[in-house]
Amino acid sequence: MSAHPRRRPSALNRRDFLRKSFGAAVALPSAAAILAACSKPGTTSSGGGGGTTGNGARVLARPDDPVTLPMTQDPIPTDTPIEGGTLNVYNWDAYMYKKVLSAFEDEFGVSVQWTTFNNMEEGIQKLTSGQVEADVFFPTTDYVARLVEAGLLQPLNHELIPNMPANVWPVFNDPGPYYDLGWRYTIPYTIYTTGVAYRRDRLDDADAAAKGYELFFDSLFKDEVSYYDSYRDALGMMLLRDGVMDPNSDDPAAIGKAKDAILEMINANGARLTINGAYAKLPEGEFGIAQSWSGDIVGAKYYLPKGTPEDVLGYWYPPDGKGLVGNDTIVIPSGAKSPRLAHEFLNFFLDEHWGYLNFADWNGYQPPFTSIVPDKLVSDGVVLPTLSSAVVNEKSFTTGYIQGELSADTDALWLDAWNEIQAGG
Amino acid sequence: MSDATLTRERPIAVTPARKATGWLRNPWRKPRILQAVTLGYLAWSILPVIIAIVFSFNDGRSRSTWQGFSMRWWYQDPFDSVWHDQALRTAMFQTFKLSTLTVLFAVPLGTAFAIGIDRWHGRPATTANFFMLFSFVMPEIILGVSLFLLFTNLLENAVHLGTAAQFLGLVTFQMSYPVIIVRARLLSIGPEYEEAAMDLGAPPRQSLRRVLLPLLGPAILASAALVFADSVDDFVTVRYLSGPASSEPLSVKIYSLARAAATPAVNAAATIMLIATLGVVALAWFAFRRITRGRGEEMSAAGLAEF
Amino acid sequence: MASDAGAVTGRPDGKTPKNRSEISYGRWYWPSFTFPGILWLAALFILPFYVVLSVAFGTVDPLFRLPLPVYQPWWWSVDTFRTTFEKFTSGSHIYLDPLTRTLVYVGLASLICLVLGYAVAYYTARYAGRWKWLILVLLISPFWISYLMRIYAWQSLLQPDGYINDALGVFGVAPIIWVGRPITVVLGLVYGYIPFMILPLFGFLDRIDQNLLEAGRDLGASSYQTFRRVTLPLSKPGILAGLVIVSLPMFGDYYTNNLLGSTNTSMYGNLIDSAVGQAGQGPEAGSLVLILIVLVMIPMLYYLRSTRRQTEAA
Repeated sequence: MSAHPRRRPSALNRRDFLRKSFGAAVALPSAAAILAACSKPGTTSSGGGGGTTGNGARVLARPDDPVTLPMTQDPIPTDTPIEGGTLNVYNWDAYMYKKVLSAFEDEFGVSVQWTTFNNMEEGIQKLTSGQVEADVFFPTTDYVARLVEAGLLQPLNHELIPNMPANVWPVFNDPGPYYDLGWRYTIPYTIYTTGVAYRRDRLDDADAAAKGYELFFDSLFKDEVSYYDSYRDALGMMLLRDGVMDPNSDDPAAIGKAKDAILEMINANGARLTINGAYAKLPEGEFGIAQSWSGDIVGAKYYLPKGTPEDVLGYWYPPDGKGLVGNDTIVIPSGAKSPRLAHEFLNFFLDEHWGYLNFADWNGYQPPFTSIVPDKLVSDGVVLPTLSSAVVNEKSFTTGYIQGELSADTDALWLDAWNEIQAGG
Repeated sequence: MSDATLTRERPIAVTPARKATGWLRNPWRKPRILQAVTLGYLAWSILPVIIAIVFSFNDGRSRSTWQGFSMRWWYQDPFDSVWHDQALRTAMFQTFKLSTLTVLFAVPLGTAFAIGIDRWHGRPATTANFFMLFSFVMPEIILGVSLFLLFTNLLENAVHLGTAAQFLGLVTFQMSYPVIIVRARLLSIGPEYEEAAMDLGAPPRQSLRRVLLPLLGPAILASAALVFADSVDDFVTVRYLSGPASSEPLSVKIYSLARAAATPAVNAAATIMLIATLGVVALAWFAFRRITRGRGEEMSAAGLAEF
Repeated sequence: MASDAGAVTGRPDGKTPKNRSEISYGRWYWPSFTFPGILWLAALFILPFYVVLSVAFGTVDPLFRLPLPVYQPWWWSVDTFRTTFEKFTSGSHIYLDPLTRTLVYVGLASLICLVLGYAVAYYTARYAGRWKWLILVLLISPFWISYLMRIYAWQSLLQPDGYINDALGVFGVAPIIWVGRPITVVLGLVYGYIPFMILPLFGFLDRIDQNLLEAGRDLGASSYQTFRRVTLPLSKPGILAGLVIVSLPMFGDYYTNNLLGSTNTSMYGNLIDSAVGQAGQGPEAGSLVLILIVLVMIPMLYYLRSTRRQTEAA
């Protein structure tokens, strides 16, 4: 399933997309309505949820084809008073530093209720069905357009989030990220790259740089290779390796080749699909090579067993910046009970001090702040010197390849390939 | 013994080969092989758990390399120890809550079903019995996924995923245990006691309450203990039916952490649940002994065999 | 036991009252005890199957591609089901491997459970003597030690730096990667399910009249012959029960593979588990569940029929 850097394999929950509250205008029939309906479900022509593109003809956002999301409602007025009480935050587990949350609670005299989800599908469903009431939500970029189309998000009032233009990279501000030009609905949370982590006591940096993605197939590391159990990342990286520089490819041949490459690394080189391979098992020595998100390898230093020197961790990413890159976002659902407070929350996490602390002392996943300079991170001891390639800079965000939303047919292609891999090939 | 007499009367040279086959053929010899196999199995079965318990006292993060003794994962570590980790404590509490609730519902439902099905004959009874048995041997993933789809589609407004859904799923899955155990017991009791009571003038309802139920006591207790233990352990159904993180019981947490980054704190939490379950089982055992004082009844194990 | 004897009394519907409760309270007195259980099962066991059918033959919503069940049978679409089925039979039949693997693993594991379990049960029932109760307690202990904890403990031992490799290292064997091998998964299955084999077998073996066995011996049968001709036939129902209880749940096992195996050892349960989590694959998950139900139903029916024949013959 589509994974996320902080996803820990855990409970699965899927709920039907029920058109409840949130003022959704997508008219899919409810269970009761189906029983009484005269037309077959799924074929009713429903008007798109406030979207200008209509049903099924939605434009998929891409870096070279950016999208301006439609305004489904007006942002809250600037003079809305800040609510008290509880702020409901809906996020991955372990993705926020509790100290930062406490600071927020103290500053605004409120309490933060953190509900977690284990994968993005679960998060989306519980949100759309109304089972979870959230004031703040952390979707991945490929869901933003759909959430807007379903009328589930509210546009942000830029005046209430001054930290955004002040602290965040220009690429997110003006004109804004490709999935949300003008940052109407989202602010970025963390950015990360996906590369190859390796043990520097088994391989020196020059060798690693020479081999790059071929390390997964290197018989030197037979049975010690970890690869992500996530279809987008797994197939995406192999596409890049094959020279198909499009992690959203809809070419069945290319996808087939990527799938074969993964099967080859599993069958011939004993690679295993894991989620904890990079941050937990590589430091422990169980793996010698691991596909890794940058945040995972930065945070891996906490998992080094006693007595293992820190410089044993290495990270390779294409030096020309042409590798996989991505980011997370924070949004405010349209049904939020405390939208004004939610704006303050977003602003708080974009604060130079608190956002940095969240990353440096806890997350390992970097926020896109202009104040964060790679050298400073290393000298501050946040990032080990041997892992300086794991620091993301603005340039890699423009040169790198971003995984975006796939159309239903393309997604089916990808999932079929993935199924074959999971079934043992 | 006839064997000994025979050998004495027939003096034969005792060669090593003879000795070996004689040993093999002696029906009264001690079964060394079987003994070894049994002891080996017991060790294989229990030892890993003992090692896991020991490792909960490990000083380092590893679950496989001993790095010294410490209570770090029990209460010392300010973030990750069982004492301090809110998530682990919530999970333990959730396990306990679910298991207790399940026992309270599954055992009466199952017992009543067993009593009824025992005395009811005919096609509908056989069908009902079939479904009950089917729910017993069916792979749990079928039930888990079906209930998940049920609660997320048809009943999505009535029941939300979370404790309520988990509870409903657990009772459904566990109901068959009391049915089987009580049914076995009923079969071995037979109708004589009740008939005797009724001969002596007790109305049927009373004979049920004062004769049958006490007779079934051991079986009911045994099934309660089994249902509790099995609910603590259950994970397929509750995982699919989990809602927010706070509704994940310990079994699900162990599973996720085992696939992510487990620390010995998980070992510690599992040990706590083990002790709790042991406590419940021991309670049931003592109650069982009190009831069956001197009656030398079969253990629940044999009851299971009756099925 | 009360039997379905034909009517002799002059009741108009020809049914003999079974006992006095019936006479006092009517024919439905005892059956009514089953009604709460039946209702519960109907709502939470039978109804979900219908939902599975509706999902398997249903569709997905166009936006988030979550499963959209179709409850009216006349709109059911078998397209997804057919595609899923074809993944077993035609093309590159990618699902056939997990299915065959599952059959092989379950078969092997059940066999090992039977042989090992029988040995242990036999010993405990016949030879344990004064240790019997202690051994019995130890045998029952896996039931209340969480299965997950045991497999988790096992997983720790099987890690590259775990004790198993350490022990093998004493004999000069290089560390073996255990996780991901079929043998690990099969033994894991045995480890998890063997208690369900031992206890019924024990119950049966325990009841075999000692006198029968002694009689056999006295008549000159060797211990092997006694075993083969007396003990084994008498324990057949126990063996059958144990095999059913052990093998059928194994068909849906996916977590043993997740914890101890890899994609190369994936089983049928893993197919279902991944499909449930994927966007757009709800109908496929439903189809897989339906196929599994059918697969499991067949041995189950066979078993029920054979036990009914046995109880009727008894």
